[in-house]
Amino acid sequence: MNKMILYKEWLKTRWPLLGMAAVMVAFTFYSLLNLAKVVEFRGADILWSTLVFKETVLIEQLKYLPALAGAVLSVAQFLPEMTRKRLKLTLHLPYPQGKMIALMALYGMAAVTLLSLLQALVIGIVLGRWIVSELVVRVLVTAAVWYLAGWATYLWMAAICLEPTWRMRIVLLLILAGLVWLLFLSGIPEAYNDFLPWLVLYVLCGAVLLYHGVARFKEGLQD
Amino acid sequence: MEPVITCEHLTHWFGARKIYEDLNFQVQSGHIVGLLGKNGTGKTTTINILMGYLKPTSGSCRIFGEEVQRISPSTRERIALLLEGHVQYSYMSIDQIEKFYSAFYPKWNRDAYYGLMEKLKVAPGQKISRMSNGQRSQVALGLILAQNADLLVLDDFSLGLDPGYRRLFCEYLRDYAKAEGKTVFLTSHIIQDLEKLVDEVIVMDYGSILVQEDAASLMARYPGLTLEDIFIELTGKY
Repeated sequence: MNKMILYKEWLKTRWPLLGMAAVMVAFTFYSLLNLAKVVEFRGADILWSTLVFKETVLIEQLKYLPALAGAVLSVAQFLPEMTRKRLKLTLHLPYPQGKMIALMALYGMAAVTLLSLLQALVIGIVLGRWIVSELVVRVLVTAAVWYLAGWATYLWMAAICLEPTWRMRIVLLLILAGLVWLLFLSGIPEAYNDFLPWLVLYVLCGAVLLYHGVARFKEGLQD
Repeated sequence: MEPVITCEHLTHWFGARKIYEDLNFQVQSGHIVGLLGKNGTGKTTTINILMGYLKPTSGSCRIFGEEVQRISPSTRERIALLLEGHVQYSYMSIDQIEKFYSAFYPKWNRDAYYGLMEKLKVAPGQKISRMSNGQRSQVALGLILAQNADLLVLDDFSLGLDPGYRRLFCEYLRDYAKAEGKTVFLTSHIIQDLEKLVDEVIVMDYGSILVQEDAASLMARYPGLTLEDIFIELTGKY
């Protein structure tokens, strides 16, 4: 049964997922190619000095991609469930409802995480050819908050999709907008290091909202 | 034997609008019960309450002895549900949806499903979203029959179907239910379909149940009238 639940989620999301993977590959490739050109013409020293003396991590063009991936994936997964109230079919399956929602969310989180990890891996490997590992870590730790934004948009957009009333959807959307604004507020490298764990916790608490939306759906709340 | 469905003192309001008050009815095992009523009398509301998708203002319903808001997965396995409009996972093909559902129902009858699908004349990989209303209804019917459930709950099963598909649906459903001793609880706005299908009718009006009676004895009380005529007689023309 678990396998079939994941199969259903795959059927819904395969094309958006592959599309987002292609977009992330293209942007990452473009960004790293630009850096490669800089290295070719001016040497790797320029990367070192930029990273050490300037408030940049060289790959800022990629920062919104994980958030976009999270949003696209959650809409691809949960909007079909709410269209014509298909969630009734899902909740009617002879499978514990709480576990069903958890499995669906885990699938999405895993997909977003996989995209993020692959991108981080490629960035780490390529940058590692030009700069020392300490600076690679600096880049990736700075990027961690962007990947967290991917989780945030995934969970909160899923909660917005599962919420049956527009009024509450707007409330959730405003909260998500605030959260995303906070996650991208500072562009200073490693600015979020100290309170990243709390941000992770806050983002993951968004998973509770999925259950809240389903509970409201089951009560029959509507506009 | 305990009734399959029991609703007691069911009351529901949508805001300031009362749907019904102190509704009581039971559905016995092996019966095909039709819930009739004009638009807005609470037929779909009743289905939603029974399936746990709507919390009533007060009152309770039980299916197979379980409170409907907390039906266990093992009991849900015994209930086949058809949503209004034959809503299904339309991004799946007929093969994909059979593969999906069969994993959840140990008594899955593959032949019952594909027996109907052979009549569809669609490509195996064709998405349900690209099928006509009638074809989608056949897929929905096939899935219901294949589940081999003890109780079938169908909300407005004839919605959007032409007479040919409606007849196919009714014939299949009745033959299947009677042969297998299944209990069926259904709503339809096309009364003439129900005449040959149901054993028992519940006629709702705004706020209450007008009649809950064996279909044959109801029709015997109104000789010469069809079920549709009796319905209009009971509920008024408009």
